[in-house]
Amino acid sequence: MNPRERLAGLRRVLGKEDVRSLARRYFVANGFDGTLTSIGVVLGAYMGGSVDNGLAIIGIGLGAAIGLGTSGIWSVWEIERAETSRELLQLEAAMMTDLEDTQLTRDFRSEQIVLALAAATGPVIGVLVTLFPLLFEGVFLSLFQAVLLSIAFGVLLLGGVGAYMGSISKQRWYVAAARMGLAGIVVAIITVFLPG
Amino acid sequence: MVRLRRIVLDILKPHEPKLVPFTEQLTEPEEIRGVTAKLVDIEENVRRIRVTVEGEDIDMETLEEHIMDLSGSIHSIDEVSCGETIVDDPWLPN
Repeated sequence: MNPRERLAGLRRVLGKEDVRSLARRYFVANGFDGTLTSIGVVLGAYMGGSVDNGLAIIGIGLGAAIGLGTSGIWSVWEIERAETSRELLQLEAAMMTDLEDTQLTRDFRSEQIVLALAAATGPVIGVLVTLFPLLFEGVFLSLFQAVLLSIAFGVLLLGGVGAYMGSISKQRWYVAAARMGLAGIVVAIITVFLPG
Repeated sequence: MVRLRRIVLDILKPHEPKLVPFTEQLTEPEEIRGVTAKLVDIEENVRRIRVTVEGEDIDMETLEEHIMDLSGSIHSIDEVSCGETIVDDPWLPN
């Protein structure tokens, strides 16, 4: 398959509402995981007292991003591979023919790629956005300020995603934003009160 | 060589690709002038459609390959028109 056909296939797959909806779910669900993990990591590292600079916390956070991103891409790839193989077997049985190397199987593969990427980029973006203020620790922010700003970025990101989900589901966007943002605050409070 | 001008096929296909993109893609070869697809039956995983293809000189082999690539399976060839002009079936009701 040449690059032009591959691109046409990708465009075809992205045009399907069910694929877009599933990609959105994976992106948001894993992004939620990533952002909350990042808030926990940032605050946990600061409260633990073993790190005294923003870059060290960024290093820990990036480790979490790699873990969550790999988990997202790997698990969704395997889940979708199993699901599409099952669907393909059912179709082949119904049609009494081999559907290997048809547009359908190529589209299944493209769907797998799109969904796995959505599942991986969600948590990575969540972690990176939350870690961003820590880059300015020592430049014009103290570690405490950078950590607070980092949590605020995480909560705002969650709120933004909540607002978007609320708007596409025709709910009150600010209520959906507050509900999502609240999760970040809850994680922060639990981390603060953790023993040690 | 006799020119194939019109062919009517009975095709079994999965629900995807849907009827519009399926029909659109069948018109891609240059020699195809037009395609009409009609839904005949829907089952749980597949649907049966009747496809009429018209063109100047339809390459049957290419058409078959194209339909197979779109995950369709030709069940039967129901009507064929060859030659300079398309002669309509006189027994068909008007």
